[in-house]
Amino acid sequence: MTLFRQLLGNKKAMVGLTILLLIILVAIFAPFLTEYSPVKRVGRPHQAPSWEHWLGTTRLGHDVFARLVYGARVSLAVGFGAGLAITIIGTVLGIIAGYKGGVIDEVINFFTNMVLVVPNLPLLLVLAAFIGQASPLVIAVILGLTSWAWGVRVTRSETLSIRQRDYVKSAEMLGEPSWRIMAFEIFPNLISIVGINFIGSVIFAVITEATLEFLGLGDPNTVSWGIMLYNAQNASALSVGAWWDLLAPCFALAVLGLGLALINFAIDEIANPRLRTGGMLNRWTRMVRIGEGKL
Amino acid sequence: MTFLLRRLAFYLAAFIAAATVNFFLPRLMPGDPIQIMFASAGSELSLENLNALKLTFGFIDAPLGEQYLRYLQSVFTGDLGRSIKYFPLPVTELLGRALVWTLGLVGIATLFSFCLGTFLGVMAAWRRGTIFDSIVSLTAICSSSVPAVVVSLIMLFVFGYQLGWFPNGYAADPLLDPGFNWTYISSVIHHGTLPMLTMIIVLTGGFAVTMRNNMINLLGEDYIVMGRAKGLADNRVMLWYAARNALLPTVSSLAIALGTVLGGSLVTEVVFNYPGLGNTLYQAIIARDYPVIQGQLLIMTGAMLIANFAVDLSYVLLDPRLKKA
Repeated sequence: MTLFRQLLGNKKAMVGLTILLLIILVAIFAPFLTEYSPVKRVGRPHQAPSWEHWLGTTRLGHDVFARLVYGARVSLAVGFGAGLAITIIGTVLGIIAGYKGGVIDEVINFFTNMVLVVPNLPLLLVLAAFIGQASPLVIAVILGLTSWAWGVRVTRSETLSIRQRDYVKSAEMLGEPSWRIMAFEIFPNLISIVGINFIGSVIFAVITEATLEFLGLGDPNTVSWGIMLYNAQNASALSVGAWWDLLAPCFALAVLGLGLALINFAIDEIANPRLRTGGMLNRWTRMVRIGEGKL
Repeated sequence: MTFLLRRLAFYLAAFIAAATVNFFLPRLMPGDPIQIMFASAGSELSLENLNALKLTFGFIDAPLGEQYLRYLQSVFTGDLGRSIKYFPLPVTELLGRALVWTLGLVGIATLFSFCLGTFLGVMAAWRRGTIFDSIVSLTAICSSSVPAVVVSLIMLFVFGYQLGWFPNGYAADPLLDPGFNWTYISSVIHHGTLPMLTMIIVLTGGFAVTMRNNMINLLGEDYIVMGRAKGLADNRVMLWYAARNALLPTVSSLAIALGTVLGGSLVTEVVFNYPGLGNTLYQAIIARDYPVIQGQLLIMTGAMLIANFAVDLSYVLLDPRLKKA
C-alpha cells in the first residue's frame, strides 16, 4: 500500500492516473455519452464534425464519437486482460525460477531466453494470419501466451538477490513452506517490479492490438480503436479529406498510451530513488551539502 | 570460448524452435490446411502450384517425423519455398528485393536515433532535475508510448496531405528509371524523408530514457566522485567517466533494435506504402500468402539471433571478466 500512497504524491503519476480514470469512466458510461449506436448508420457518409455528430461520421455513416467511446471498452479490456495475463505468468515463473534454482530454474530460464529471441511482432502476425480474423479475446490470449518472457527475466533476477536476505533465511529456518515464502516474503518486495511489468504490458497490449487490427488481422465487426483505424485507412479517409475519421482513434490511442507511460515512469522513480528529480533531488543536494550524502 | 560456443548452440536451438512453430502451425489448422490456404489466398488451384506449396510446408508422403526432418533440411539450405501470389517466384527472391529498401530506411533511422537518443539521455542525466531534463524525459516518454501507427498516420496527414511537402508513397518516383544519377537519388531521398523522420520519432525516445536511467544510476559511483574530486572538467567526467560506462548496456539494446529492423518498420512502411520487407509482409498477410509470411518469420528470427550473438561478442570484447569464463 505504500507504493500506492507514494503514487498519489507523484505529479506524473497523478496526471497519468487522471487520464486513465477518465478513459475508464468514458468506457463505462458510453451509453450515456452518446445517443447513437456505434454499429448503426446514423448519418450520411463522411460528414464533417458538426453539432449533431461531434466527430463526424465514417464512410459507412457511423457516428465517429459513438464508436470512439464504445471502442474504449475493447482497448481497455484487451489491454488490461492481456496485461494481467502477461504479468501473472511472468511473475509466477520468475519467482519460482529465482527461488527454487537448480533444474527448475534451468528449464524456465531456457524457455524464457528462447521466447525472448524470437521477434514478437512477426510471430504474432503469423499466428493471427493462421487464425484469420481474430476477435479481441483471441488477440488478448495470443498476447498473453507469447509476451511473458521479459517479465520472467526481470522478476527472476530480482528474486535471486532477495533470496539472500535475512528475512527469507529466517523464514526458511522457521520451516515455512516454500510457497508461503514465495508468496508472502518475496512477492511483496517485488511489488514495484510487478507494477512496472503490468503497466508496461498493458501499454504493449493496447498498442499491439491496435496494430494487428490496423493491419487487417482483427475481426472487422468489432468496435475498437484499431478497427476504426483499419476502416478509416480502407476508406482512404486521408485522401478524401475525412481526417476526423482517422485522427479520432489516433488521438485516443495516443492519450491512453501517454497516461499509462506516465504511471510507469512514476513507479520507476518510486522504486529507484536515484531517478527521482524535483523535490526529492533538492532534499538530496541539501544532504550532500551538509555532508550526509555520498556525492 | 566455451561461453560463445554455448551461446551459439542456444541460438541454433532457438532457430529450430521457430522453424518448428512454422512447421506445426499449418498442421494445427482444422481441415486440410493446403486447401484452406488456397481458398483464402483466392488463387487458381493449379497442380504445379499445389505441389510447390505442399513441398514448402513439407507435406510429403512420409511419416510425420520424416516430413519434419525434410522441412528442416530445406529451411537450412535456404529454400523457403515459392510465393502463392507471385507463383513461381521464390520467397527468397521476393524478400531480397524488399530487403535493400528496409536496410536503407530502417538501418539509417535506427543508427541516427541511437546516437541522438544516447546524446539526449546523457545530457538529461547530467542535468537531472533541470527544465532541460524534464523536457527531454517527458518528450521521450510521450514519443515512445504513442503507437507507431498513430505517429505514422499523423505525420502522413500533416506533412503529406495538409502541407504537401512530401510524397505520400513509394520509395522513388515510379516514372523514373532506377539508376545511379542525381535525379533518381534525390527522388529516393525525398520519398524516404517522411518515413525516416517518423521512425526517428518513434525510436529516439526509448534510447534516451534507457541511457538517462543507466547514467543516473552510475552517477552515484565512487569513481565519478573521484573524477570530480580530482578537479577534472565537467565535460570530461560526464563523457569519459559516466557516459562511457553507461553505454555498455545500451549497446545491447542497439543490437536488438538492429535485429528487429527487419520487422520493426512494418507499420511505417505500410502507412507510407514503402516497398520494404514490412510492406511485403503486409501484402502477404492480406493475400494470405503463407510461404512468404513464414519465410519472413524465419528471416527475422535469424536476424534477431545474429544481433544477439553480436551482443555476446561485443560483451566478450568490452568486458574482460567474460574472457576467462
